[in-house]
Amino acid sequence: MQLSDIERHDTDILILGTGGAGLFAALHAQQSAPEGTKITIAVKGLIGKCGCTRMVQGGYNVALGGGDTVERHFMDTINGGKWLPNQDMAWRLCEQAVVRIRELENEVGCFFDRNSDGSLHQKAFAGQTADRTVHKGDLTGIEIINRLMEKVLASGVEKLQEHRAVGLIPTKDGSALAGVLMIDMRTGGFKFVRAKTVLMATGGGPTMYKYHTPSGDKTMDGLAMALRAGLKLRDMEMVQFHPTGLLAGDHTRMTGTVLEEGLRGAGGQLINHSGARFMFDYDGKGERATRDVVSRGIDAEMRKNNNPEQEGVFISMSHLGPDFVRKKFKGMVNRCADSGFDLAEGKVEVVPTAHYFMGGIVVDVDTRTAMEGLYVAGEDAGGAHGSNRLGGNGVANSTVYGGIAGDTMGADIVSMSLREPDEAVLAAEFDRAIYPLSRKPNLVLPLRKQLQDLMWEEVGVMRTEAGIKRGLTGIAEVSDALMDVGVDNGTLAFNLTWHDWLNLRSLCDISEVIAKAGNARENSRGAHFREDFPEPGTMEDSEFTVAQQTSEGVTVTREPVEFSIVRPGETVLPADAPETLVATQ
Amino acid sequence: MTSSVLKVTIERSSDAQDVFEVPAFESQTVLDVVSWVQQNADPTLSYRFACRVGMCGSCAMMVNGVPRWTCRTHINKVLDGNEVTIGPLRNLPVIKDLAVDMDPFFDKWVAAEGVHHGALTRDDPIAPVDEDSSDRVEANAGIECINCSVCYAACDTVAGNADYLGPAALQRAWTLLNDAKDEGRNAILEAVSGSGGCHNCHSMGSCAAYCPNDLDPMSAIAGLKRGTAKSYFKRGR
Repeated sequence: MQLSDIERHDTDILILGTGGAGLFAALHAQQSAPEGTKITIAVKGLIGKCGCTRMVQGGYNVALGGGDTVERHFMDTINGGKWLPNQDMAWRLCEQAVVRIRELENEVGCFFDRNSDGSLHQKAFAGQTADRTVHKGDLTGIEIINRLMEKVLASGVEKLQEHRAVGLIPTKDGSALAGVLMIDMRTGGFKFVRAKTVLMATGGGPTMYKYHTPSGDKTMDGLAMALRAGLKLRDMEMVQFHPTGLLAGDHTRMTGTVLEEGLRGAGGQLINHSGARFMFDYDGKGERATRDVVSRGIDAEMRKNNNPEQEGVFISMSHLGPDFVRKKFKGMVNRCADSGFDLAEGKVEVVPTAHYFMGGIVVDVDTRTAMEGLYVAGEDAGGAHGSNRLGGNGVANSTVYGGIAGDTMGADIVSMSLREPDEAVLAAEFDRAIYPLSRKPNLVLPLRKQLQDLMWEEVGVMRTEAGIKRGLTGIAEVSDALMDVGVDNGTLAFNLTWHDWLNLRSLCDISEVIAKAGNARENSRGAHFREDFPEPGTMEDSEFTVAQQTSEGVTVTREPVEFSIVRPGETVLPADAPETLVATQ
Repeated sequence: MTSSVLKVTIERSSDAQDVFEVPAFESQTVLDVVSWVQQNADPTLSYRFACRVGMCGSCAMMVNGVPRWTCRTHINKVLDGNEVTIGPLRNLPVIKDLAVDMDPFFDKWVAAEGVHHGALTRDDPIAPVDEDSSDRVEANAGIECINCSVCYAACDTVAGNADYLGPAALQRAWTLLNDAKDEGRNAILEAVSGSGGCHNCHSMGSCAAYCPNDLDPMSAIAGLKRGTAKSYFKRGR
């Protein structure tokens, strides 16, 4: 494999990723770009099948009247994000969600659940002050992605499936993006794709934690590429943990997958190692407290337990009546049964599990980045959620900003041309990707487990400076050890072990950034909790972290939050607006 | 479980079969077994998965000759003694080992007009829908298909006729015919009544028998047969 073997390929608009952001970008780019524009969509797996939008259970937050307003959705998003969100991004999210849901229903053809009068059914998740979440049962993501996927498959865009992006290649002066280096995973060959504009919509996905929910293909590749390209990353300490991941042993991929929020909402109880309910010791709302609070409660109970046979805590539903549970949570009951657990009548062991990444690349409200030609939308982009994402705001964010990215790129390409790459960077990225192929093969998995254990223990649900520093030392050890692990180069076609290696490379790089940002934030906000700094700090003085790769390695600085729409203590709601529109249960 | 070691036979794209001894665990799916082999015994083994929980439909394979989602199939359900045989999904071209090319499946989905044909836009209000109306109920029955190709692999008609659109694509066409919002009735009926269309189906029912989501493509195809016949008579009059 030599540099000269790289196949060269040109397009006008290149989209990386086929979740809600990537697919919407493809549709909108077709609508907004001049006729004859070539659009290419590349994805690490199959179109619409990999990634996390498809895995959305809950639904889609959108203010559609009945007392609810864009202003109320916005205030919930700001309060939920503990005043760290970029307010202009959060506003645009809430405002455009209204348009996007009509587009999903009317143009894309989604089926959403209805009220008896035929209008869209909406429910309230934790942290919302209105019944706002549009859904299709508890499989909303499948419906949205299936319908989007059909549209894109039928649209005639160029498809590069099982093409993994490995490096962003700038122009020689570094001012703009020339294209993306990829591996065609099916053949193992390299492809350099030039484009006038590139959308990065690869999704975050904090799978460097022992327990995690995202799909197996997600390994922070987009953020790792952006870091190497020198882009600024914000809020990188903000990892959202879902409180109830299935615990079934470290030999099964089922471990870490989500047992849905609704189980606790319906009255599910969490039971510790001595058989006692414990959540009321931590919060007046008990099991119905927000995700971050319940995750910390479970984490604290796990630390108190010395029984090696039991790692997590149990969720128990049987007091609600096994038949009721089987009917209301059919999908969850079946999924647990496939792993050998009885959710309806028995107890199922659960742990907090890394779910969503609020951090991401610094972008403007039109998805543009500091690098001309590069756009970012969805979980790869930082800012909209601040320190905490509300349930239902994730798929709204990816579809809203994916569409905006498509519109923006379609307009921007009119004044853009293809650019010549910096061949030295191209060569360096190529060398980086083939590095393990010339070294003695060894197992990758033990190092991945080492990193995941370390991140879970030291940079997990609850953090301290001492722990984070141990974490950083350990990350460096794994990172170094990986460079001594080679991959069998007998055939590069569909060589999953090579990709396991590249996955772990990305995870190591971003783990270091998470740890450094976590050390820089000396307070506790939303998803980030410091045992040595348990207070949130004054909201008026809120700062967000910004990480960047420099000649001195990864450095983290802090920038003040600009309260461009509303200041802490104030609201954009009318003075007489009720605190919540949700009927108390 | 009869043994603490599983004897796992995997069909490779070189037409060879490799046998692996895999340690048995209490909670272990077929995907876990395949993953164990790649991660510990043979790093060159190729397969595909994504979500791990039966939502994406990427990991279907033939398990003892039967198409299944490997991520949601507990190994105990399929063990014959302590043995299991795993191969690539039937009726699709193999890329390598256990990973198949799903493009033919999706090309047929599109060829069956399996895409929403809407008249309304994002500027229009959302029209009310009666969830209990018979056509919405009919459409809803097939809407949760995750396009995993299990039915396509199970179908003997697909095996015998490479042009046949197959159960999943035809079921999608049927949901659209019953969707009050869809304006593509004529295009859909034309697409599903051609040479590779619904009339190829011999109602053998493997699609419904093997669908991991308990959907019933066979009945959807029967609906299409009635629909295309009706439309034929209408045109004749």
